Amino acid sequence: MKTISARQTGIIVFLTILANKILVLPSVMYEQSKADSIFALIAIFSFELLVLTIFLQVKKAHPDQNLKEILKQKVGAVVAKIVIFAFLVFFLFKTMLTYSVLYIYLKDLVYQDEFGFLALVCLFPVVNHAVVCGLRAMGRTFELFYYIVLVGVLFCLGIAFFTDISMPNFFVASPTEILNSGFTHIFAFGDYLALFLFIDKIKLRKGEGKKIFFFAFVGIFLVLSIFVVFYSKYQVTAFMHNNALADLLIFSVQFNAIGRLDIIAMLTIMTLGLFQLEIFQAAFCESFVQVFEKLSIKYAVAVFDVLFFVIYLVIIKKYEIMLSFATDYLIYLAILTNVVLPILIYALGHKHKKELSNEKSD
Amino acid sequence: MKQNVEKFIEKLKSQFHDDSDFASRLFVCSNGKIGFVFLKSMSDPVLFSQSIYLPIQNFEGEINKQLLIDKILKNNGVESIEEEKIFADILDGKVIVFSDFFDGFISVDITKYPTRTPSEPPTSPVIQGPREGFVEDFKTNMTLLRRRIHSKDLVFKTLIVGQHTQTKVILSYIHGVADKRVIKEVEEKIKNIKIDGVIDSYYILSYLEKRPNSLFKQIGNSEKPDVVVSKMLEGKVAIIVDNSPIVLTVPFILMEDMQSSNDYYTNHHYASVVRFIRMCGLLIAIVAPGFYLALQLFHYNILPLNFLITIADTTQGLPFTPFLEILFIFLLFQILYEVSLRLPSYLGLATSVVGALILGDTGVKAGLISPPGVIITALAKIALYTVPEQQSQITVLQIVFIILGGSLGVLGIITGFVYVVNYLNTLDDYKTPYLAPYAPRVKEDLADALLKSSINDHHAPPKSFPTGKGGAK
Repeated sequence: MKTISARQTGIIVFLTILANKILVLPSVMYEQSKADSIFALIAIFSFELLVLTIFLQVKKAHPDQNLKEILKQKVGAVVAKIVIFAFLVFFLFKTMLTYSVLYIYLKDLVYQDEFGFLALVCLFPVVNHAVVCGLRAMGRTFELFYYIVLVGVLFCLGIAFFTDISMPNFFVASPTEILNSGFTHIFAFGDYLALFLFIDKIKLRKGEGKKIFFFAFVGIFLVLSIFVVFYSKYQVTAFMHNNALADLLIFSVQFNAIGRLDIIAMLTIMTLGLFQLEIFQAAFCESFVQVFEKLSIKYAVAVFDVLFFVIYLVIIKKYEIMLSFATDYLIYLAILTNVVLPILIYALGHKHKKELSNEKSD
Repeated sequence: MKQNVEKFIEKLKSQFHDDSDFASRLFVCSNGKIGFVFLKSMSDPVLFSQSIYLPIQNFEGEINKQLLIDKILKNNGVESIEEEKIFADILDGKVIVFSDFFDGFISVDITKYPTRTPSEPPTSPVIQGPREGFVEDFKTNMTLLRRRIHSKDLVFKTLIVGQHTQTKVILSYIHGVADKRVIKEVEEKIKNIKIDGVIDSYYILSYLEKRPNSLFKQIGNSEKPDVVVSKMLEGKVAIIVDNSPIVLTVPFILMEDMQSSNDYYTNHHYASVVRFIRMCGLLIAIVAPGFYLALQLFHYNILPLNFLITIADTTQGLPFTPFLEILFIFLLFQILYEVSLRLPSYLGLATSVVGALILGDTGVKAGLISPPGVIITALAKIALYTVPEQQSQITVLQIVFIILGGSLGVLGIITGFVYVVNYLNTLDDYKTPYLAPYAPRVKEDLADALLKSSINDHHAPPKSFPTGKGGAK
């Protein structure tokens, strides 16, 4: 089996942590809990790190099995299929949301007309091709672009310091508002759960879990930094700026020797968006193949494309609808996949461990 | 089996279809008759006379086969052979000696045909370092390698390919340094080649590639023995093809083309800078025209104001759209390039004058093309030669990126680029990742990748591809 290394897995975690959080999320969260959204973010990230620990434990216990085989062993075939199906739906809408967020960016700041739709359609062949090529090729591509993306994000952050910024006002929102903000936007999180679907394709040696955590911390640090710098820069008008990372550059000082630097944000956002789409579609296709065992990855890609276009025409074309759909309905799905399922997997693993130790003591 | 000399000569002659190049001689001595057959175009008549015919003629006493081999024939390449080997030896330029008074055949090497003296290859000149290049004669090429690797572990395996040409393909590697699986795989692939003829090493190249229809080269090649030797020392297998000055090497990684033999004969800091510039050159060559189009057509608002004014001034009133303009200039350059390749050298200056002055300058003055368009396309075309080994691939990619940039803007460039990188990451012939040591990252090999460290740090065998000392599995 073609596997990916710990470093490549870490980079996937890094990319998924940035996914959907660096463009629209800072402004929409600000509407609910002002700059205190950062506390909601810290709480969710802390939980995500715990889930990452669970993932590593599951991987350690089942080094060569895929998620379906693991679940089948513990809870039976039917429940296993239901769980994987939940992931399938989760990642279908995740891809939709990412397309949607990218669409807003392209329409607002890059193409400034309906051309954005055509551009999204053009992303399809590339994303489809990447998924068909497999996780190993994808992992290698991410590895090659990792520093480019990292430097791009750091550059956008760094340039923002060349304007007048002051720390935002914290402790303005009530704890309920903060919790509410985290709860409402929970669908924007949990992207790294794709790892559970790729679990058998990840090759981890002893002690390599630290590498994955390192990349997770880098990702979390960047997201938190973007939130802080964005709120510091725009203060009370933060809710008006829908493309956080790009907006950090737009109203920054212009360097006469170089000219406008928006192109850096443009390249970074497009590359990041493309990679995130690849990961989510790969996760969708992987869960599809695990649910419908007899169908190949190419069928999964075809099914995804058809579903995407149907749902796009109904929902995403008006991206506001997609965003409200994510905050109104998809949160329940996200709670199932982001919270319930990892806890369930952990509990089952724990039970299994206990049974094993009981057997040993007997 | 003793031969009836005349009958056997007739038999061979008819098997060569009365070829006028086929020559035979008959000598009658006290024991009986001795026959000689050879090809005039492949053998040296003076050597035949001096080392074969005259010694036999001057020998006094009874001649037998052993005496001929040990004493009479004054030539180093004398051996007793079986009948099956006759044709191969005649075609190699050897003389076959046979008689009605001894069994079997004697083959004497008097091969002589015109060969080129090793000289500096025109495609890879160096400022410092060895200037010798491979030639068309495989024996000379083998010598050039043997002279550089004084080791009993250097192995040459000869295989024959081509139904009509019967071309010698020599597999060369250092035993214990090259990976056995790679050697076996290459040998199998060469043995399975079914082809009428092999004119050049490129004929067998596609048989060695996992994806022969791919745009990207998957097999390394060089005209320089020092380059091939350095690759063999890393654990690669070289393939010498008779009549070709290009020696192939496997496995291949893209980074090889970013390296030049010059890098190893200069200061490593300078080599790192040059490699970095080469990498930038590659990127500029691929995306510059497409990127310029994307900025001009879709993202002009992010161009610096002065630059935007210049472009607006110069493109005003052009009959073509920016997209067609760049395509037109690109086509113009490509035509000039093709012409300059095929024109006799004395017409080279005329081409430059026509290209630079008449087509370029007058084109701009006539308002057909804009100066920025010419500069960007020229820059891309010149940058292409920072990595000349990838010239054909880059030219195709330039057209693709012009179309992507012109129709989709920067998003088109990025999606195209990611697509290409994704595709390259699927190439893993001979268990070697194409973009190693960066994707996947092979820490041990970064010392001699885009940045080059001192030669003192290059002691560990590479890990990016399988070698006899480990490496990729």
